[in-house]
Amino acid sequence: MNVAIETFNLTRDFGTFRAVNQLNLRVESGRFYGFLGPNGAGKSTTIKMLTGLLAPSAGTMRLLGEEVGDPRRALAVKRRLGVVPENLALFDNLTAREYLTFIGRMYLLPPATVRERCDELLTMMDLAREEKKLTLEFSHGMKKKLSLAAALIPNPDLLFLDEPFEGVDAVASRVLRDTLKQCVGRGATVFLTSHILEIVEKLCTDVGIIAQGRLVHQGTMAELHRDGSLEDKFLAVVGDGKGEAQTLSWLEA
Amino acid sequence: MNREQLKTILWLRWRLTRNQWARSGGLGAVLAVLVGVGALVLGALSFAGGLLGAIYGLREAAPFVVMMVWLVVTGAFLFFWMIGLLAELQRSETIDLQRLMHLPVALGQLFVVNYLTSHLALSILLMVPGMIGLAIGLVIARGPLMLLLLPLALAMVFMITAWTYCLRGWLAAMMTNPRRRRTIIMGITLAFVLLGQGPNLYFNVIRRNAGPSPRTAATPEEAQRRREDRSAAMRKLRDRLFTAQRFIPPLWLPAGTQALAEGRALPAVLGTLGCFTLGALGLRRAYRSTVRFYQGETGGKAVARTGTAPVSPAAAAAARAGVRFLELRLPIVPEQAAALALATLRSLLRAPEVKMAWASSFIVTVILGSSLFLRSASKIPDVTKPFVAGGAMAFSIFMLVQFLANQFGFDRDGFRALILSPAERRLVLLGKNLAGLTVGATSGTLLLALVSIWLRLPPLALVAALFQLATLLLLAGLVGNLLSILVPYRIQSGSMKPTKMPGLAMLVMVLCHLLFPLALAPVFVPPLLELLWRMAGWPAAVPVNLICSVALAALMAFGYWLALEPLGRLLQRRETKILRVVTLEVE
Repeated sequence: MNVAIETFNLTRDFGTFRAVNQLNLRVESGRFYGFLGPNGAGKSTTIKMLTGLLAPSAGTMRLLGEEVGDPRRALAVKRRLGVVPENLALFDNLTAREYLTFIGRMYLLPPATVRERCDELLTMMDLAREEKKLTLEFSHGMKKKLSLAAALIPNPDLLFLDEPFEGVDAVASRVLRDTLKQCVGRGATVFLTSHILEIVEKLCTDVGIIAQGRLVHQGTMAELHRDGSLEDKFLAVVGDGKGEAQTLSWLEA
Repeated sequence: MNREQLKTILWLRWRLTRNQWARSGGLGAVLAVLVGVGALVLGALSFAGGLLGAIYGLREAAPFVVMMVWLVVTGAFLFFWMIGLLAELQRSETIDLQRLMHLPVALGQLFVVNYLTSHLALSILLMVPGMIGLAIGLVIARGPLMLLLLPLALAMVFMITAWTYCLRGWLAAMMTNPRRRRTIIMGITLAFVLLGQGPNLYFNVIRRNAGPSPRTAATPEEAQRRREDRSAAMRKLRDRLFTAQRFIPPLWLPAGTQALAEGRALPAVLGTLGCFTLGALGLRRAYRSTVRFYQGETGGKAVARTGTAPVSPAAAAAARAGVRFLELRLPIVPEQAAALALATLRSLLRAPEVKMAWASSFIVTVILGSSLFLRSASKIPDVTKPFVAGGAMAFSIFMLVQFLANQFGFDRDGFRALILSPAERRLVLLGKNLAGLTVGATSGTLLLALVSIWLRLPPLALVAALFQLATLLLLAGLVGNLLSILVPYRIQSGSMKPTKMPGLAMLVMVLCHLLFPLALAPVFVPPLLELLWRMAGWPAAVPVNLICSVALAALMAFGYWLALEPLGRLLQRRETKILRVVTLEVE
């Protein structure tokens, strides 16, 4: 089976702080990979490195079989990626349709395709009514939906989604989940981070858990379910038993 | 609010400032401390200067002279205050009340603390000690009646600070809509630029028509007549000033001073009462606006207008037209560069802060140019006219340096989209240049048209100037690309203000911007060659300037094209570093 994402000792330091420590990820093509971890564990840093938003301090990575450390290959790989980064990537002074048109053209899509996909995505994300609004006037949820639409417009082979469901309303969330399933169904790979374990449990075929910059668990959802629920596994791996043991002194009767 | 809470609020204010210094790096903190100490020293010097100036300079001065001194002091205070106000308008409150409203602290008390901390401004530190020194000096020099000047001056300061605080509150409510916020800041800044250019316009453009100087008169009779005309004009101006002093509250201070110097106390007392009452009214209004704002009664219309109302067919058509612009194909230009150029241009033309920068650069160029050349346009020899045209165009391009040399700083989050995009980086640079330089080309062409009319530029020189403009744009694009890649810095959203810059980066940036004009110098080579050609006495029929301008433009176009590829590679190598810098605040 082809490998969509592969990292070898991927490391990122910020001064003396090591955010990601010798990460060795392996995600096969056509899988729905959930990348979990507590706050500050290194999830977003990992996505940033994988998508070229942040240079690694050490280690290498391959996306869709290509070495992305090579600048000449990096752009070729980017043509096959869709990304929703942590801080989104929108231009304040464009409307949603203008932004999608711009992204479509940057991916060299034919004009008719751009128009058609813009219409469908704006309708799907319920942004069609906001034709006149600039993205700077959007709420966080609307910005997230627009960023998702931009990630989907090139019909990518590999999707990186950093907290895609955060701030998205229930209707759009449902539509998005179905869309992502469709993407995986046609052979694309989805790599997402989320704090909502229920969504990851429902959607993902594979799970990786990162804590303090290290990959502490990686495997299929089926394997994981043999030992209990995702939440149990997550708490066992990263919780350190804190959830049960800690109470506030002034709340004790 | 009890004492502990007040201490905590003051601690918060101090901590916010201190952390901001710390974040800007060691050099930034040192600069901030130097500015603070410098302000205190200048404040002390201004007090001493006011005191000694009044004692030794105004003891025997005529009341009108004393009034004029206070008029200048009042004007200086208002000028510095407005500069500070402009910087402060970028923030709605010294401490954002919304962040504290859920805490057990009364709104009124927070309002007072915020109002008082708004006085920690350079203008107050510099000017108020000077005013106090001047007032005390006048008491010593001219007698105890001048004591009434102290409350009058303080009441004027109170009135100004109260009403500007009210204005800030009103604008803050208006600026809850982010789109409107930027337009307001743009409007204020543009008004300020125009205001700043007012004296320049008055002295160099308008007043030059005030009448001929007696010194240039041919006969003594003519000189005498001109002197009389000037005296009459001055008397007229003085009468107008006295009339204005009755109706413009800040002028009650100089008017009251004159009255005190003449031994009349009533105008000063009335001025003090008037200023104090107006100040109190301003503060009351500011408080009521604050209460309304935090109760959600203000700014509702703005929110409603931008809410999810159904879109009218006309609005939808306009939106479709906007998209059509982004769908345009540009001849010769590669697809991705065209897409980026159009999106950037659309984005820039919607950004009020960018429009403001461009408009002010154009206005300043026109005003400076007119003040320099209006008088002597007819005396400029033909051979030097191309230098003037080149200078005007170069200056207009230089005024855009903040934008051209920091192209990714304005994108902020949008730059992330460029990194994620599969476009070759040389095309990213080309797209950015096409967008930015379109504006440079527009302002350059407009200025060239103005200069051509003004100086009656010979046709060949005009055509040569068009090629020089092309050279300038290509040079600016090249140097701008290099600086944007090597020295990027973050611009606060909705403004042109660099933020959170480490001290060293700031120094490098200032140095690069100062040296930017040197990069534009080659544009003067063709007119210089023509000048040398003429001086050598060679045939005047040869259009040296034009030939050299065409050659230079062609050479620059070739150089630009050659440089795009390596610059693109440099951008790709540094893009993650640039992203870190331009999005520092949100990361």
